Amino acid sequence: MSIPSPLFNCQQATLLLERRADEPLPAKTSAQLWAHLRLCPYCRRYSFQSLFIARQAKAAAGATVPADLPLPAALRVRLQQLMDAHGARPKEE
Amino acid sequence: MHTSLAGLVPTQWPARFGDELYRYALGRVAEAATAEELVQDTFLSALEAQATFRGQASERTWLFVILKRKIVDHYRRQARSPFVPLDLTAGQQPEADFFRPADGHWRAEEFPQPWDGVGNEGRGDVVLEQVEFQQILKSCQERLSPQHLAVFVLRFVEELPAEDICQELGLSPSNYWVIVHRAKLHLRRCLEKNWFQAPAPA
Repeated sequence: MSIPSPLFNCQQATLLLERRADEPLPAKTSAQLWAHLRLCPYCRRYSFQSLFIARQAKAAAGATVPADLPLPAALRVRLQQLMDAHGARPKEE
Repeated sequence: MHTSLAGLVPTQWPARFGDELYRYALGRVAEAATAEELVQDTFLSALEAQATFRGQASERTWLFVILKRKIVDHYRRQARSPFVPLDLTAGQQPEADFFRPADGHWRAEEFPQPWDGVGNEGRGDVVLEQVEFQQILKSCQERLSPQHLAVFVLRFVEELPAEDICQELGLSPSNYWVIVHRAKLHLRRCLEKNWFQAPAPA
């Protein structure tokens, strides 16, 4: 698969930044991306901000739920009934 | 009397693990009702799968493995429904909102602005009001299309390898990167508008 040069193309450069997070880029592409980031303050900002979003997304999954939030009572009752019913079932041997 | 398989005690699951599993699920999906379904499905699948529990992991770890599998299944179902064309002609593609189709440069109105407190070149993140920021991030995520949201959550929250995501969602690697890129472009614009440029809360 040939990769269009990111040297003067911000769309391509930012796409490759995302790809680089998953796998190493071919050497030539990697050098062109490096040169683009040296020249382009907007893509440089994008690269920091993109990593920032990734870090925050992971943190947000845990932090946005109150640490003492219980299982809703109605669900707890229903689940307990299901588990008790299962436990009471005679074993099929 | 029933001796449970390999030390599993299903009758104690709701009390011992229910709250924790529910909070975990709720952090990863948009709706409380979905989180409830995921917990119930986890317990039911766990009952059926007791024979596969070998006692190497703890009961708690084993239940979390099942819940994580349920979360992946949930996003796979969400992502599968709508047809998302990726190969539109330049100018019709979502990227054209952000970049000039002629040369791929940022559109002037989309130039990424500096984000106050977001570290670059070695400086750490100093975002104050963490939880408020993360609430905004979650509401921005919920505005993504189901397919974009699925890719984003599986990659950045569940941290699945790209290969697994491609396989789960039936994507080629190049389509997968296009979707990650589009999701990030939309999220960064949404965060810039709703957090970094919003007036500070009084």
